[in-house]
Amino acid sequence: MSDTPLLKVENLKTQFFTEAGTVRAVDGVSFTVERGEIVGLVGESGAGKSVAVRSILRLIDSPGHIVGGEITFDGKTVVGFEDEPGTDGEPTRREEMLTNTEMRSQIRGSEIALIFQDPMESLNPVFTVGGQLRELIELNRGLSKQAARDRAIEILREVGIPQPAERFDDYPHQFSGGMRQRVLIAMALGCEPKLIVADEPTTALDVTVEGQILDLVYDLQDKYDASFLWVTHDMGIVAEICDRVNVMYLGEVVERASVDDLFYNPQHPYTEALLNSIPRPDQSTEDLQPLEGAMPEPINPPSGCRFHDRCPEAREVCQRTHPDLRTVTEAGQYAACLKHDAFEAAYETSRPLTDESPAAGGDRRE
Amino acid sequence: MSLPRYVARRLGQSVFTLLGVVTITFLLVNAAPGDPVRIFIGPSADASAIAAMRAQFGLDQPIHIRYIKYLMNVVQGDLGQSINYRVPVTQKILERLPATLLLVASSFTFAIITAVPIGVLSAQRRNQLSDHVFRIFGLIGVSTPSFWIGLLLIIILTYHLGLLPATGLVMPWAPPSAVDHATTRLDVLYQSGIHLIMPTLTLGTLQMAAIMRIERSSMLEVLNQEYVSLARAFGVSERTILRKHAFRNAQLPVLTVIGLNLTTALGGSVLTETVFSINGIGTLIITGVNARDYPLVLGTTLFYASLFVIGVLITDILYAYLDPRISYGDES
Repeated sequence: MSDTPLLKVENLKTQFFTEAGTVRAVDGVSFTVERGEIVGLVGESGAGKSVAVRSILRLIDSPGHIVGGEITFDGKTVVGFEDEPGTDGEPTRREEMLTNTEMRSQIRGSEIALIFQDPMESLNPVFTVGGQLRELIELNRGLSKQAARDRAIEILREVGIPQPAERFDDYPHQFSGGMRQRVLIAMALGCEPKLIVADEPTTALDVTVEGQILDLVYDLQDKYDASFLWVTHDMGIVAEICDRVNVMYLGEVVERASVDDLFYNPQHPYTEALLNSIPRPDQSTEDLQPLEGAMPEPINPPSGCRFHDRCPEAREVCQRTHPDLRTVTEAGQYAACLKHDAFEAAYETSRPLTDESPAAGGDRRE
Repeated sequence: MSLPRYVARRLGQSVFTLLGVVTITFLLVNAAPGDPVRIFIGPSADASAIAAMRAQFGLDQPIHIRYIKYLMNVVQGDLGQSINYRVPVTQKILERLPATLLLVASSFTFAIITAVPIGVLSAQRRNQLSDHVFRIFGLIGVSTPSFWIGLLLIIILTYHLGLLPATGLVMPWAPPSAVDHATTRLDVLYQSGIHLIMPTLTLGTLQMAAIMRIERSSMLEVLNQEYVSLARAFGVSERTILRKHAFRNAQLPVLTVIGLNLTTALGGSVLTETVFSINGIGTLIITGVNARDYPLVLGTTLFYASLFVIGVLITDILYAYLDPRISYGDES
């Protein structure tokens, strides 16, 4: 069992059925998280990162629905559908797929815990910080009230809350943003789950606090031997803490690589564009290459490769052919881009789309 | 700031509210056409009797003198003599108070214990059939005048079905000898109960509908908060989320509506008491207005205003109890 990944997401599809049409927020995403690993899920706002991780906990609210794919976690089927849809055209659940009650009692909190994004809104203002933490530990670790309280104080100390016993009975409004984020981390750690999903937990914090939080997570990951799925749009964080990275664009994973390969040898033009848009101390701002345009709406994605209308390397074939994720290097790096030989898409002979565009990045890759 | 100091300060501030109420009411009753003395003595009285009575109640003095005198008396706790009843206004109010308090308390109790669970249920089952039914019921409830509900109840339950008595109230603590159809204490309680049902529904339906609507929307808003998502993501059951994580937060707007609805309830008591011939403060106000009994109108209005001020104060104190972010008088 230990050679299977802790979390395996395969061809996950989550769609929102709105009046304006079907939004394919997550459209065939696959990735894995091995035990003890920190995996990044990177992309711009709206790429479908949050929807993907909430699908893992089956926390998608109507009008959203998980419509296909398979998620297995530690031998349990979190999401699993029959290949053939049922007689009503709806996807049919496989028998081994956990029920909603099983999800609640066996997975959420106790096995997979989510670190929430917004420290200001994620704590209940009318209950004490300690009380909220204690409740979750009590529920997910099956401890007595007193034991859960002791554990809560201990974990508050570990995440760096000074005088945790005294602050236990304080209310969230008496904590700063950084302190509240530590409390949210304490909630996830205190439940001792096998997998912690961090949904951009440092986005709302200033940079110094962000640095402290990242150090903290790094230390605690060692101690608790938890695996992490880290959602972010910040390449800096990826470089700092991740082992492997999945880059998402418009509901799809477009590149998967180890963190070193990704930074030194990106295989997808989107990844490259993200890296080029990071300010670096050895470059002036003129050297920055911000990504042109905005990500299209997932309600009506572009034909062919979804990135082709923003891609500096797009060719005609990219408008027609939709690339899946394939191995493109000997090191086992994955990318979904037709420029690689693995796709045999006649990319080289196809006419470039961006001849007239001054932003073509050809001269930058050498 | 401690609670007693907060209460003292708020009560001090409410003096100005009450002064405003007295001033406006004083000007309004004096501006209204009609003369209390003529109404009391009748059209055929001679001029000297009228002049004597005017002098007795100080009505021969100019309005600003009467206003100042009235304020001086009110400060000393004296609401004056009723022209119509020839007894102190305070005595009349205390005599009528129990019936009105019983009616208002019973209506609010009915409204809160029905509206809060229904509102929560409605929010939990948003857009399902039961939610739609409750919402339509709530809409009808807030849009129907209370006296019309009262009349309808009398027509159906008393006139057609003969189930419930349509007039008067029986105090539950009244001695059995003073109550019709009663020989034991239990009979008195029974009579009190059946007399209360229709007035309670009449006065309480509006409150119930208003509380239900705010409870529903407030719960819905709280259920969309990130901390509810967090509870859900950590495996807390929907039941616990509803009862614990969402309920308390959702009660702040509900509390506001209940506090503010004291005004509609007190105003509604005037109509309800009239429809059911209940001898409460509401009918006392009507009598006072009809007789142009200036001291009586002023006294009852001031009394209702004081009740309202106290009600709002209690609401504000409960706020701080429900929400730790609110503390007494931080702004000072």
